Amino acid sequence: MTTGALALEMRDISKSFPGVRALEGVSFDCAAGEVHAVCGENGAGKSTLIKVLGGVYRPDAGTILISGTERSFARPADARAAGVSIIHQELSLLAHRTVAENVFLGLEPTRFFRLDRGAMRLGTARLLQRLSSTIDPDTRAGDLSVAEQQIVEIAKALAFDARILVMDEPTAALDEVDAKRLLALVGKLRQQGVAIVYISHRMSELAAVADRISVMKDGRKVITAAASALPTDRIVRLMVGRDLAEFYPPRSQAPPGPPLLEIASGGNGVLAEIELTVRAGEIVGVAGLEGSGKTALARAIFGDRPFERGTVSVAGVAREIRSPRAAIADGVGFLPNDRKRDGLSLQRSPRDNVLLTLRAFAPALARAAGGAMTDSIADSLLRRVDVRAARLDGEIRLLSGGNQQKVIVGRWLARDPKILIFCEPTRGIDIAAKAAIYQIMRDLASRGRAILLVSSDLPEIIGLSDRIVVMRGGRIVGACEGGASEEAVMALAVDHHGDAAIAQPTEAGAAL
Amino acid sequence: MTAIVSRAPRPRRAPPVPLFLFVGSLVLYVGVALWTGQTSQLQTDGWVGLLQRMVALGIVSVGQTFVILCASIDLSVANLISVGAVAASFIMQGRDSMMLPAVAVVLTISVVVGAINGAIIAGLRVNPLIATLGVGLVLQGLLSASFTDFAGSVPQAFQAFAYGALGPVPYSVLGLFALALAAWLTLGATRFGAHLYAVGGNAEGARLAGVRTNLVMVSAHVICSVLAGVTGLYLASRLRSGAPWVGRDGVYDLESIAVVVIGGTLLAGGRGGVWGTLAGVLLFATLDAALNMLGVPAYPKLILRGAIVILAVAAYAARTREHVA
Amino acid sequence: MTTTAASEGWPRSRAIAIAKHVNAAVVVFVVLYAIVGLLQPSYLEPAGFMNFLRRSAPLAILASGQLFVLAAGGFDLSMSALVTLTVIGGSMLADNNPDNTWWTIGALYGIGLAVGALNGLIVSFLKAPSIIATLGMLLCVDGAAMMWSGGSPRGYLPDNFRAFGRLVLHDVPVIGTFPIAVGVLIVFTLLAWWGLHVTVFGQRVFAVGDNPRAAELAGVRVSATRVAAFVISALSAVTGGVMLGGFGGVSVGVGSGLALQAIAACVIGGVQLMGGRGSVVGAVAGAFSLFALFTLLNLVGLPQSLRDTAQGLILISAVASGAWRLRHAG
Repeated sequence: MTTGALALEMRDISKSFPGVRALEGVSFDCAAGEVHAVCGENGAGKSTLIKVLGGVYRPDAGTILISGTERSFARPADARAAGVSIIHQELSLLAHRTVAENVFLGLEPTRFFRLDRGAMRLGTARLLQRLSSTIDPDTRAGDLSVAEQQIVEIAKALAFDARILVMDEPTAALDEVDAKRLLALVGKLRQQGVAIVYISHRMSELAAVADRISVMKDGRKVITAAASALPTDRIVRLMVGRDLAEFYPPRSQAPPGPPLLEIASGGNGVLAEIELTVRAGEIVGVAGLEGSGKTALARAIFGDRPFERGTVSVAGVAREIRSPRAAIADGVGFLPNDRKRDGLSLQRSPRDNVLLTLRAFAPALARAAGGAMTDSIADSLLRRVDVRAARLDGEIRLLSGGNQQKVIVGRWLARDPKILIFCEPTRGIDIAAKAAIYQIMRDLASRGRAILLVSSDLPEIIGLSDRIVVMRGGRIVGACEGGASEEAVMALAVDHHGDAAIAQPTEAGAAL
Repeated sequence: MTAIVSRAPRPRRAPPVPLFLFVGSLVLYVGVALWTGQTSQLQTDGWVGLLQRMVALGIVSVGQTFVILCASIDLSVANLISVGAVAASFIMQGRDSMMLPAVAVVLTISVVVGAINGAIIAGLRVNPLIATLGVGLVLQGLLSASFTDFAGSVPQAFQAFAYGALGPVPYSVLGLFALALAAWLTLGATRFGAHLYAVGGNAEGARLAGVRTNLVMVSAHVICSVLAGVTGLYLASRLRSGAPWVGRDGVYDLESIAVVVIGGTLLAGGRGGVWGTLAGVLLFATLDAALNMLGVPAYPKLILRGAIVILAVAAYAARTREHVA
Repeated sequence: MTTTAASEGWPRSRAIAIAKHVNAAVVVFVVLYAIVGLLQPSYLEPAGFMNFLRRSAPLAILASGQLFVLAAGGFDLSMSALVTLTVIGGSMLADNNPDNTWWTIGALYGIGLAVGALNGLIVSFLKAPSIIATLGMLLCVDGAAMMWSGGSPRGYLPDNFRAFGRLVLHDVPVIGTFPIAVGVLIVFTLLAWWGLHVTVFGQRVFAVGDNPRAAELAGVRVSATRVAAFVISALSAVTGGVMLGGFGGVSVGVGSGLALQAIAACVIGGVQLMGGRGSVVGAVAGAFSLFALFTLLNLVGLPQSLRDTAQGLILISAVASGAWRLRHAG
């Protein structure tokens, strides 16, 4: 592929906030028709760089050039007008409006003061066609799958005639098949001459799609080089500053203990004929594409959308789990896949968050900071999971995603349930925190707990699990041993007549 | 805010709430009339009376729809209605020549109040509930400091607003439906309407897309306040004079919110419309008529009104699984 | 950008943080009261100060109760009507007979309990937002009060009932006079402080207000907590009503506007309106500040009828400054 002139140049950008230098003399550029990937740990400065580019922040120093012309952005609308479009991790579509209404938001065409819906529909259809999509412009955005919503976001960006597209972890919420489709789409956009800045933690994607890769660390850019010159382990070393020892902890060699969780003929509105056993000491991974029911399974076990048929037994005793509270009382723990929405009290402190379940079950009039809930106990729990924070009594929303997730893990350590369900435990978390959480999971297993891992991250499931079950359409359709190949798992997850165009990941990429 | 982060189970197609409410109201009205033997209510006069009952609440509720659609709320309407009614009749003092100036003054006050509401909410970032409750209190204080009883009167010509009719159908009812039509067109076929839904659905996303969210919000509040002012004018016309308690007595604040929500508009904004609101108004008018036909006395009626509002909102919201605070 | 750096905006030690927070409402109160004292020196004498505390006690109690509901993420706008019902119902039940006082008060608390529980249940199970639910309840309770009294309240409150609001002990060492109302205030405030800041229940209230879904998934009984918060709020309204009954005559307007004043007091004291943050000290100090402001306005000669207007402006300013503080804080 040919790359054109530099569509974007950022020279010596610096940005500070009270007490922190977020960016220091960072230079970055991207050519038309190029995919330039950016990696870095959380806190490395990636999102600040993006926000400066997007007009959310004004840089303290440095210049931005769009197609060779120096620009300064006072507000996001200015960046948009200059052809820069940022697609954030959190999608910003309007759920109750149609695709066409979303795509043309802010640009609505009018005829004699009336909205020209015909033009909107036509324009949307054209944009979607450019993205090889068959979504109907009159569909309600809330009815679309996450992958489809992502495509609409891209269409929205193109409606603004974006020449520079910034994609922030676009595959974070997608399953394997959708992720591959998105990468293909990125390739197509590249061919159309769009300059793409691609932020991702997924090394296999970078290998597949990036022309150049830049690594950031502690507010500085460490290196920019052609993707071919930067193998995965070198990138990781540059990001983290050290060699990461074996990323996934070794699987246990000891045979698993007695079954702690047994589901027989489990079913509800979404699930059917679920037969599942998880033994003490095992990590069982649940794989499946979006809509396969794996999250529904996790929630059913936890009593959030309970089973309506069949039996669930905990440690050999049949239990009726009708609510999360009942599940916890019976010895089941659960880490939700959306920690900000479902897991954290964002204004409360890490201490309060880690003690939440203990306080949920303590007598109402007991002292909140007494007994097993003192500050020192909270702090020791937080230390056990290696939470890094300047203040353990500040607001938890100031912590990084990785630290926030660790706090939730710590909450369950306090309660020590026999069965712990992890849903997408490392979504949006940097490499070092991921490794820490994997180690915690393996430690828990080796101390006799039963761990259920529900994840869309196939390499994670394959690397971490002792056994893997695969779901499709609300049922368990197959099982594999830990360490199985991605192809084997995908073959079960996908319908026979499904997408055969699955790219083969490289060995190095598969590790992360 | 209804931003999409992760995929929820596909939502079912929203049921045609306005239709259900419409049919339900008719059934209720006819049913109670038949049951209590007051079949005279089923003749033209009865139906016209029912429609007439809709006008006051209807006008202000259309305005409330705009505000709730952009995820705000207006609890100052009741007091503004009182201000409008009193100001109108006080300025008119029964003289034809003062009709136009009085209307102009009332509309101007309404615009100013709406702009203030919008500025406090969008500019000072005050919680809309508190902001409009506060403004309502300010209005109430100013009003009760100046007036304690009916003030002035409304000339014959102005009473045509409430009492004039085209054949059997009163002007006011025609006006209400014309208003609803205009509102429906504004919401569905203009840029402003599209932006209004966007601000309600995801204000931050709308802002990033270049929508002037503050302006949209202030405009919505101005529209709501103006319509509240118009309601005041209507009530002055109907009662032939304005008194400081007309707004509060009619419970227009609570009921306008209730009918908007019952009609299918989300309190969180981003979805809904005017026809649902009108259907909700019809339901309330029908309930009122039914209670009258059943001979329920005044104070128990007050209790029932409160209960009906709660139940009606609850019945609609009870289908949500999410937490409500 | 590391978390260390981001949280460097916080003051150096927790003690200073607390002091800084408390100082806001307390400082406001001290300043306002000083101005009041300047205009009317009798307020600076022990007897005058005690009298001030006595008259502002109902608001402070209501604010403490409202705080629980606000911290849990809701609003209780039905307080005003419950106060009115307490005064009217109290006079009708007790009917000027001192022997009736105790069971009357018991009955009133029972009614409060029922109203609070209903509020909580409607919000938790009928899923009606608390704004609408409590506004609707306001209508119902007001209507009930009207119905009960037939529109014009009869009966009188016996003297021992009115003692809670009116009685002042004399010849007390050091301070000279000590109103019973202040005693009730101290007891109630201590209970509220204990309930919200010391007990596990209080932490659950904050968790429910901050993120009810996360609280549910962590095992908190969200509905029970919420119902309890509304009950506490209702009981505080009854308590305030009993005290207000001691102040003056029995009228239908006695409770009017108190819910909003209580909310304003809490906001001045630093509560977060969508739940998750707040303190009893702040609420009480906010109530005192508000009352000092009203006193000031009266001294300056503001007509009683414009009190509503003043309230509205204060409410908006309080919330606006609270919102501003939040945006510019850590």
